[in-house]
Amino acid sequence: MPPEVDERITRDQVRDLMAQVLAHHGHTLPDDDATALRDIGFRSLDFSELALRVEDTIGRELNFDAPELRSISTVADVLDLLVALQDA
Amino acid sequence: MKPSGADNRLVLDGRPSTWAALADRAREARAGGPAGRLAVLADGHTAAFEAVGLHLATGTEMLIAAAARVDEELRAELRAAGFTLVPDDSGPLAAAHGPAGDGAAGHGGEPGRLWILTSGSTGRAKRVPHTLDSLATVGGEQPERTWLCPYSPGTYAWWQVVTLSLAVPGQHVVTVAPDALDAWPELAARHGVTAVSGTPTFWRQTLWRSGDELAALPLRQITLGGEPVDQAVLDRLRATFPAARISWIYASSEVGAAIAVHDGRAGFPVSWLDRDEPGRPRLAVDDGELVVTSGHAADGYGGAVRTGDRVEIVDGRVLITGRRDSDEINVGGTKVSAGMVRSVLLGHDKVRWVRVTGARGPLVGQIVSAEIVADAGVTEAELRTWAADRLADAAVPRRIRLLDAIPMKETLKSDV
Repeated sequence: MPPEVDERITRDQVRDLMAQVLAHHGHTLPDDDATALRDIGFRSLDFSELALRVEDTIGRELNFDAPELRSISTVADVLDLLVALQDA
Repeated sequence: MKPSGADNRLVLDGRPSTWAALADRAREARAGGPAGRLAVLADGHTAAFEAVGLHLATGTEMLIAAAARVDEELRAELRAAGFTLVPDDSGPLAAAHGPAGDGAAGHGGEPGRLWILTSGSTGRAKRVPHTLDSLATVGGEQPERTWLCPYSPGTYAWWQVVTLSLAVPGQHVVTVAPDALDAWPELAARHGVTAVSGTPTFWRQTLWRSGDELAALPLRQITLGGEPVDQAVLDRLRATFPAARISWIYASSEVGAAIAVHDGRAGFPVSWLDRDEPGRPRLAVDDGELVVTSGHAADGYGGAVRTGDRVEIVDGRVLITGRRDSDEINVGGTKVSAGMVRSVLLGHDKVRWVRVTGARGPLVGQIVSAEIVADAGVTEAELRTWAADRLADAAVPRRIRLLDAIPMKETLKSDV
């Protein structure tokens, strides 16, 4: 279970975590948030890993029933979604 | 009837005894016939061994379990099934020796019947019926050994050590209390232990925490059981004890002891499958599940028993990877065996213990998560690279947590 910390996470913090996930697999997160996920090799498994890292950081599970989940195609989509899911 | 091992030496919580002495004491204390149907909730090995002495002397129907394993709900279930709880309902064991029918629930008892509580790793613990005969799986001449018994009283593994000592002369037993487990090598050295049976978690923890003290013991027999056995722990034990016989046993309360492997390798030869040999269990694989037909099975479990254990055949060996209902992790439609991932991580020479589970993963259903105990200085990145070099992408743990110590339950297992 994630630690009982119940914190909020900022967009920049999610960005740092995303950079870590990509770095684990030999990729670099570009500065431009409009970059397409397919161009940087960020796949469903990577998204799942990032979501877990966010959950571990905030100490609770995110609600992934949001319909936007299947329409993420850019770095900005990922960052915005994970920040927004904290309040879902 | 006096068992063959009646005069074997017992060291119970530090005090010497024998099976014959335990049975004699029970016989002298007994006021009448068999004491109904007893559930002995033992607060230690001494109480549990004394209960075996009573069973030897009177044949009293009995279930033995560590008191800590039996919660209030289970106690109520036992009472409803006609068991008198010792000591809850009757006081000390000696006071439970009333004439037949004197038990609190008035159950006359079935002479010779023994009950085992399953470990409960798959849900609620359940009672499985045995007798001393069905529990005794080793006979004939054996080299003289002094066994350390670290198992929780009343478990199938505990009964294996107990019945070996009852049935075979020269098989002595030294017990170790749960709160003294961390220092068992010292106790073993003091009492001349030459053989130890424990779970892989037990061995892994000892190698990690007390490797030097362990290596100094004159062990001739090392036995592993109760959990899936991986090659890494076998190799470490072999490196520590080059001359010892190292065995792993596949057993469960339901099918009994079904597989014994002594070649130092994980799994068993694929040639053992679908083989009919007198006196040996028949082993088969059906839809990835181990199926056992055993002469040592519990009453009512005759015939082919689906074990619920998942197997994979790799390089001519049948590897038992874990429970079927928990071993499979579905990562975006790719089936990953938690046991196989665990085995790869344990192959890292600085990794001491691993638990692999499926964590909820958006988009892919589940992702692989690992909790790991490793030597100081090992990093998550290093372990991730190790796994990525050896596993398919979906099987590489996406979350790795480094723990400070190996978590071990009273059953010596760690739910891996």
